[in-house]
Amino acid sequence: MPDISILTTITPNHYLVLSACLFMIGVAGVLLRRNLIVLFMSIELMLNAVNLSFVTFSHSFGKVDGQVMVFFVMTIAAAEAAVGLALAVSIFKRFKEVNIRFFEHLKG
Amino acid sequence: MTADAFLFWFLAALTIISALSVILMTNPIYSALSLAMTMVSVAAIFVTLQAYFLAGVQIIVYAGAVMVLFVMVLMLFDLKHELQAFTRGRFSGAFKIASIGSLAGLLVGAMYSARINSALTESSIAANATSKGAITPLAEELFLRNVFGFEALGVLLLVIAVGTVALSRSKGGTHARH
Repeated sequence: MPDISILTTITPNHYLVLSACLFMIGVAGVLLRRNLIVLFMSIELMLNAVNLSFVTFSHSFGKVDGQVMVFFVMTIAAAEAAVGLALAVSIFKRFKEVNIRFFEHLKG
Repeated sequence: MTADAFLFWFLAALTIISALSVILMTNPIYSALSLAMTMVSVAAIFVTLQAYFLAGVQIIVYAGAVMVLFVMVLMLFDLKHELQAFTRGRFSGAFKIASIGSLAGLLVGAMYSARINSALTESSIAANATSKGAITPLAEELFLRNVFGFEALGVLLLVIAVGTVALSRSKGGTHARH
């Protein structure tokens, strides 16, 4: 009978691998998509993956330092989304499009 | 299979599937909804890691505020299905996917060799939580030891708010028609 303890016993490793998968999906989104908004969403995915590993380490070491760091990351992420979307709006007003194909014309 | 393991695998599958649909949907509105789903399942994972307050904050800030911002902007743009949702170029696309795969393999391999093998048990956070209330250790850490970072974050948010308003009121910057 094969060893199925990796399926039945959840270690911090499981959470870290899940976090790595989430991060990689975010990287794939940033590299492969061309819509600016979807790019921002992929960045949010990556930040969430980092938050997940912070919380995992905080839990496995029994300290709350990691959770405090998650607060800071969340605040920065919200600020980043606000600034990015404001940029997207002002770019959309000019180009009527948010595809990054047009962003090579940003310079005057 | 214990209930904990079942819960973890269910939430992990939900997270991965909804995260994949964020980057695979061609309609940005569907991407936004999948992102909200991802945020909610990550919040549920936080609950399984006994970070209850963070789970609440995750739902309020991400699934609430940030997602509303995204959906509002999407509706402002009135985007339909995109013609070129993904980057062009078969070679460069294959190269990107290969680099993503190798990076993922590197990360997972590093974790596998580091191998934090202790089974997930009730940590000392939970022990503290029962004696002092769930949020007290977090509040002490945030407001006593990291108070400078907290205040700096407040200043940063003020700057960001002013900057965002200035940015959205600008009449096109270098592209302004005089």
